[in-house]
Amino acid sequence: MTTDHSDARHRFAESLDEVRTGMLELGGLVLENTRRMGEALLENRLDLARTVVGADEEIDQRYSRLEFRVFEIMARQQPVAGDLRFLVSATRILYEIERSGDLAVNGAKGLLRRDGYTLPPHMHSLVARLARASADLFARGLDALRSLDPEAATAIDRADDEVDEVVGELYRAIARNAENIGFDLAIELSRIGRYLERIGDHAVNIAEHVAFVVTGSFPGGDPSAIQDE
Amino acid sequence: MSMDGPVSVARSLGGGTPGAERGGVPVFELDGLSVDYGSFRAVEDIDLAIGANEITAFIGPSGCGKTTVLRCLNRMNDLIPSARVHGAVRYHGVDLYGPRIDPVEVRRRMGMVFQKPNPFPKSIYENVAFGPRVTGHQGNLDELVEHSLRRAALWDEVKDKLRQSAYALSGGQQQRLCIARAIATNPDVVLMDEPCSALDPIATLRIEELMIELKQDYTIIIVTHNMQQAARVSDRTAFFTVDIKETGARTGRLVEFDDTGKIFTKPSQRATEDYITGRFG
Repeated sequence: MTTDHSDARHRFAESLDEVRTGMLELGGLVLENTRRMGEALLENRLDLARTVVGADEEIDQRYSRLEFRVFEIMARQQPVAGDLRFLVSATRILYEIERSGDLAVNGAKGLLRRDGYTLPPHMHSLVARLARASADLFARGLDALRSLDPEAATAIDRADDEVDEVVGELYRAIARNAENIGFDLAIELSRIGRYLERIGDHAVNIAEHVAFVVTGSFPGGDPSAIQDE
Repeated sequence: MSMDGPVSVARSLGGGTPGAERGGVPVFELDGLSVDYGSFRAVEDIDLAIGANEITAFIGPSGCGKTTVLRCLNRMNDLIPSARVHGAVRYHGVDLYGPRIDPVEVRRRMGMVFQKPNPFPKSIYENVAFGPRVTGHQGNLDELVEHSLRRAALWDEVKDKLRQSAYALSGGQQQRLCIARAIATNPDVVLMDEPCSALDPIATLRIEELMIELKQDYTIIIVTHNMQQAARVSDRTAFFTVDIKETGARTGRLVEFDDTGKIFTKPSQRATEDYITGRFG
């Protein structure tokens, strides 16, 4: 994305920057919605949950536009080397961001489906920790994309272990209290744990794609190491 | 290896068994190759090894010396009086510029195809038969012409008009005729200097398909300005660039030589990346 000689190539470089900016803006919307979903759950706010669901329409539209833009650039510019790595990775990163957005919506819809629910105190603190940790991780994934930092993946992967630990604690607490809180809520809270954990995984994936864009290699050297759905 | 007299010179050039060197001795080894035209140094210190039955693409900006290097491989630079070649060019392990090497024999073993189709002002048949006649072909000439035209994917289009002028053919057909002519003398290397630059996309595609087919029998080296073409057809790519010295002199050098897949996805040199992504040159 450096300067270049011809107008055509200059426009190409600009279009790559537009895609990256578009991805960051999309990521910002998803991050906001993820935080909103956590708040809706913790405070039993149906209005916030509705906002989360409503905001997803714009996220989906932006996602489709950006993905089409990437295909168009690839078709018209026939990119190679770093440009090719960036554009191919952009389609993957867009997917990671959009999926994270869907997970936030799933959590909000769960709250709406039950017409709201109140978290038992112990689980409230666990969900609060988890929601904060997942959103922070997602923000770090976006920071890696903003700065094109190939080293971020390793640190984010370590931070994701912490999210996994909190999820483990939440699952154990659900198992211990399933009868008291009712099985329906127990199942819903398990889903919430899963959604938030997955958002963390998507953040790790984003950072790993960034490493590939910059270095041409995935951290650990094996693309299959990227976490699957 | 003895090099007494023309016969043993021919033998000493090796070849004969296309593909025998796959994974073994390279077909060409360039060792510290530099070329001067008078006091002007065109390329400097090129080290390169080209394997058998591969398509090797030379890419780089104008003036980087890629055509100069190509012309060293069949001693075409000998035809330019001021040209001087330094360093070694080994062909099947033999120094091509050794004192007993016959440049005509060298060129028989290396067919060449040029930028613009350049058939002789003769019939289609005679264009292909010309080389074998000159080199004293002893077998059935009709068979050789048919075989060469078939190998060049042109036979079906010209079999009923072999006595017509080659000039009656389209540009793409003329270029395939030149390929047929180049392979009629049974070379083991085909050198191509921007063979598609005067052709439309369909004719270009046919030549590219032909190259991929021909590499089973020949080692192919192509100079191209079309990077997508290098990416599509070649196995290995050499990227050359041009250094401009303080005096204003421009000298070509080899920047990077690697598998084509690597060059176009993850080149190791910044200069290669800048060139192939269109940020330089």
